[in-house]
Amino acid sequence: MQRNKWRVFSRTGTIVVTLGLMSGSVAVAQDRPTSEKPSDIPPSRVIAGRVLHSPPKLDAADARKSVNAFITWAGESIVEEQNDARRALASAAKQPALIQAFTEDILESHKSGDTSRALVGLGLLGEMRTYDGAKFLVEFVRMPLPDKGTVIEGELQEEAQQARLQAKAIAGVAYLRDPEFDREVMNQAGAHPSVIVRAEAISAFLWNRGDTLEARKELEPFVRKEERLFLDRVRRVSGEGADAFNRKLTAYLKAHPEVQAPNPEPKEPRPPEEKPNTFDVTPPKF
Amino acid sequence: MNLKQGIALMSSVLAFGLATEAGAVCTQTAASNADRALWNTHGCWQDFFLWQYQAYGLRSGDWSNRGWNDACNVNLEFPKHWNASYLLTYGMADNLSQSFHGTSDYRATAEARSSKFHDSLYHSITDRTDVFGTFTPRFWPWDTDRVETACPLYNPTVSNSNPGSRAGDYMHEGWHAYFDKYNFNNGNTGGHRPGPQGACTINGCDYFYFHGIGAYAFGAMWENNGTASRFHSPNQVQVEFLCDVADQSQWWIPLSVRQTAAADANGRAASRFINGPGYTCGSPRPW
Repeated sequence: MQRNKWRVFSRTGTIVVTLGLMSGSVAVAQDRPTSEKPSDIPPSRVIAGRVLHSPPKLDAADARKSVNAFITWAGESIVEEQNDARRALASAAKQPALIQAFTEDILESHKSGDTSRALVGLGLLGEMRTYDGAKFLVEFVRMPLPDKGTVIEGELQEEAQQARLQAKAIAGVAYLRDPEFDREVMNQAGAHPSVIVRAEAISAFLWNRGDTLEARKELEPFVRKEERLFLDRVRRVSGEGADAFNRKLTAYLKAHPEVQAPNPEPKEPRPPEEKPNTFDVTPPKF
Repeated sequence: MNLKQGIALMSSVLAFGLATEAGAVCTQTAASNADRALWNTHGCWQDFFLWQYQAYGLRSGDWSNRGWNDACNVNLEFPKHWNASYLLTYGMADNLSQSFHGTSDYRATAEARSSKFHDSLYHSITDRTDVFGTFTPRFWPWDTDRVETACPLYNPTVSNSNPGSRAGDYMHEGWHAYFDKYNFNNGNTGGHRPGPQGACTINGCDYFYFHGIGAYAFGAMWENNGTASRFHSPNQVQVEFLCDVADQSQWWIPLSVRQTAAADANGRAASRFINGPGYTCGSPRPW
């Protein structure tokens, strides 16, 4: 009886421990993220499989559809394909229906809140360098900023969101390099209610004029007195080497010693952490 | 247990009770054009998300109704979170003569591991819509610092809901952790200085500590000498990262990812620094 009792206890104990361990392992398994259809192909192979240099055709007969496909393609395209897009845009610039379709897609993306798509659309339209396109961009820049919505750190998000798009639009206006539209750029460099747009108007105007002293002189009267610093702002350009950038920065800091920040302020130290995370596994091979 | 710790414990118990009741999530209906474009370069790479959740210290309970068990649904928060991590883990060009900093800097700032960049931290998520992210230092010595990212980085109709801006916020919050590690005080307005002041137009402002290309070796962004001559602020680290995404990312990074990063960098650089604008980056040529 005693032996049987012991055997029952022992077996029950074994079952309990086993169940405990199983539930533990189930819990661990559940702790990992899961998905029904993940990919086990490394991105290097996914990327290698992508066909480059084949933008969808911009067809005036089916303008909305083809522009929609083109903007989607352009958003996924890479630097190496920039010239493909530019060539397609240069020939599309002769087709008013296509320009109209770009403007409609931009407004639709803006309305739906997909800023990244609207940015792509605005960039493409600016690159086309057409009178009608630039007229639309000017109207876009002049759209009143929203005054209601979500505030983050004192910044109205709807306003900032629109301003980022208007900054892209003003860059397109400046890229036309036309005296009539340049006046608009200069006006917006001082008058636009968002500093984000004013800053871009200044940068784009100067860049399109080769950053010359004459361009700076022409623009200066339009720029707000307290924002004249923006005329000398350091621009980092893709492909520019360290020497060129550092030279510009040194000149800027020499001309504007007032931008020197004060030393950081110390605060009371906190006790050291007791359980440092030491996870140091190399990410999977690309 | 002192009074402060007692209050914290009670608050935690209360918060836990409330948390179990709360089931809200961010908007899960779509992903931005930039998120989808980057996603298509990996097509939901399992090996990476199984590494990422550990490297970022993610806790399943925080992400359970946000794609933890649907990790390939790019409309959900966890997939968007790891999509941004993918960008900063593999997407930087690390060009010594052109990049502000390297992958090793950006990874160490974002990831959970205790390092010269910060003490241990973990990434969580909040439904708040009035912040992009928050950093909460540990209260108990045995606890862990917390980085929370918020719905404006995930809701598809908000401009910062893109991989560059999201990863940029990992830099920003990670740099608050850096300030705590090295005992620097950046102000009491959410870890920033009050504003508007100087050239800063919002209410949480930083200084920009200008430095040239090559001033910091890759992996040395954490270095400081206690003075303004070798130092970074949270918004500055974010701008430099976004500029590197815009101008110095890998050849296969989609242009929509680069352009949204440039727009965020330039907007932020123009409006968030007391001592004038930070660098501008990305080409003024429209395309």
